[in-house]
Amino acid sequence: MNMPIEDGNNNLRYAEYVLGVLDADTRAEVVHEMQTSGEAATAVALWQRRLMPLTSVIAEVIPAPYVWARIHDALQLDAPARVAPRKGLWDNLQLWHWLGLGASAVAVALLVVVALPRPTTTPAVVAAGYMASTIQQDNGSTGWTATMDLQHARMVVVPATPVAFEQGRAPELWLIPAGGKPISVGMIARDKPTTLALDPALLAQLGPTAALAVSVEPVGGSPTGQPTGAVIAKGAIGAAPDAGGKVAMIEVRQANRSRV
Amino acid sequence: MSISSPAERDELNQLLQQTGRNDQKAFAELYKRTSSKLFGVCLRMLRDRGEAEEVLQETYTTVWRRAASFDASRASAITWLVTLSRNKAIDRLRQHREELLDDPSRLNETVDEQPTPAAGAETSQEYQRLQHCLDELEPQQQSSVREAFFTGATYNELATRCKVPLGTMKSWIRRSLMQLRTCLDQ
Repeated sequence: MNMPIEDGNNNLRYAEYVLGVLDADTRAEVVHEMQTSGEAATAVALWQRRLMPLTSVIAEVIPAPYVWARIHDALQLDAPARVAPRKGLWDNLQLWHWLGLGASAVAVALLVVVALPRPTTTPAVVAAGYMASTIQQDNGSTGWTATMDLQHARMVVVPATPVAFEQGRAPELWLIPAGGKPISVGMIARDKPTTLALDPALLAQLGPTAALAVSVEPVGGSPTGQPTGAVIAKGAIGAAPDAGGKVAMIEVRQANRSRV
Repeated sequence: MSISSPAERDELNQLLQQTGRNDQKAFAELYKRTSSKLFGVCLRMLRDRGEAEEVLQETYTTVWRRAASFDASRASAITWLVTLSRNKAIDRLRQHREELLDDPSRLNETVDEQPTPAAGAETSQEYQRLQHCLDELEPQQQSSVREAFFTGATYNELATRCKVPLGTMKSWIRRSLMQLRTCLDQ
C-alpha cells in the first residue's frame, strides 16, 4: 500500500511471473534477473509467499509407482549397497536373453554359478540379493523372465516368446501384495529387455506372499494406476529350493486369455 | 498428508536440506510425503496424466540436483517444491501453447477450484487470508486470477477464454495483483 507507483511496473512483472501469465521469453528474462539481482529474487520470493497458498486447495493425487522408479533410474540412485556392484553379471544382456529362453530352475542355478567366482563370498550370500521369476504363457512356454536385484533395487524383464498385442496396447507389470491392490512396477517391452528401478515401497512388498501379474494396457500405462485391461498372467512368489531359499522363484502362469 | 501444520513444515524443510547433502533416504521420504501434492498441481495445470508424470519426474530430478540451493529463510520447503513444479509445468505449457489452444476441450473445461468443505477445514491460515483478499476483488477479476494461477495461461490465452480484449485482461490482472498485495501486506 505504501508502494510508489513507479516501482509498480517492475514489481508487477515479478507478480505476473509467479502468477504464470507471462510468455516464454518474458519468463526467461525474469529468471535471468533473479539470477543476477538479489532484489529481483527477493521480490519474486515475496510474491511466491503471497500466492502459493492457493495451491493448498488443489486435490492431491498419488502418482503411479513407476514415476519414482524413473526418477530413481534417471538419477542412478542406489539402494544401500552392502556388496560392491557386480556389473559384469548384471549388464550381460546375452545372459538375460538366455534367462528368458531357459527354464527357471536353470536360470536360478546360473545366477548362483555366475556369482560363484568371487572367492571371498559364499554363493548363498551372493545369491541373497536376487529373485527370479518365470512368466509362463498358456501354452507353457516362457513369456518373460524377471530377475530382481534387491541390492540395487532394479528388475530386468526379458521377453522369451514375444506376445502379440493390439496396436496401442502394451504389457504392464504389476506387483500384488497379499490382500493388497496391484502396484504398478512399470511398462515392459514385448520384444526386448526392460530394466525397471524398484522403489522402496515395491522392494518392501517383494516376497513369498506377493504375486506378479501382467495386464494389457494403453501404451502409456494404465490411466487409473490400477489394471484396466485383461490380466493375461499372474502367479505367486515362492522360494527356490536350489539356493537354499535365498533366491525366490516366481511362477507366473498365464490367465485365461479368452477374457480379453 | 497435511502440510499445514508447522511441525510438518519443519520436517519437510529438514528433509529437503538433507536431500541437499545427497541423503538418498531423505530424498525418498521427501518424495513420499510431497509427490501427491506436486502431482496434483501438475495434473491440474497440464490436464494430461502422461505429461504430468513427466513434469513430476523432471521436478524431482531437479530437486535432487538443486536441493543444496534451498534457503529455508526465504521459503518453506513445500513452497519451494510447489513453485518448482509449477514453473516446470508452465514451461511445458509454453512449449505446447499452440496445441493446447487448438484443443477446445481443454479451454471449455471448467474446474471448480473452490475447496470442498473437508479440504477447507484443513487449509492453512495463509490460504484463508489470501481467500479473504481474493474475495474483495470484483468477481470477474477474481476468477481471472484463479484461472491464471491454476491453468498457467498467458494473458493472450486468458483474454481468448474470457472473450475480452487483451488490454482488458491485462488491466484486470494487474489491478488485482496490486490490490492483493495491498490487502496481504497490511
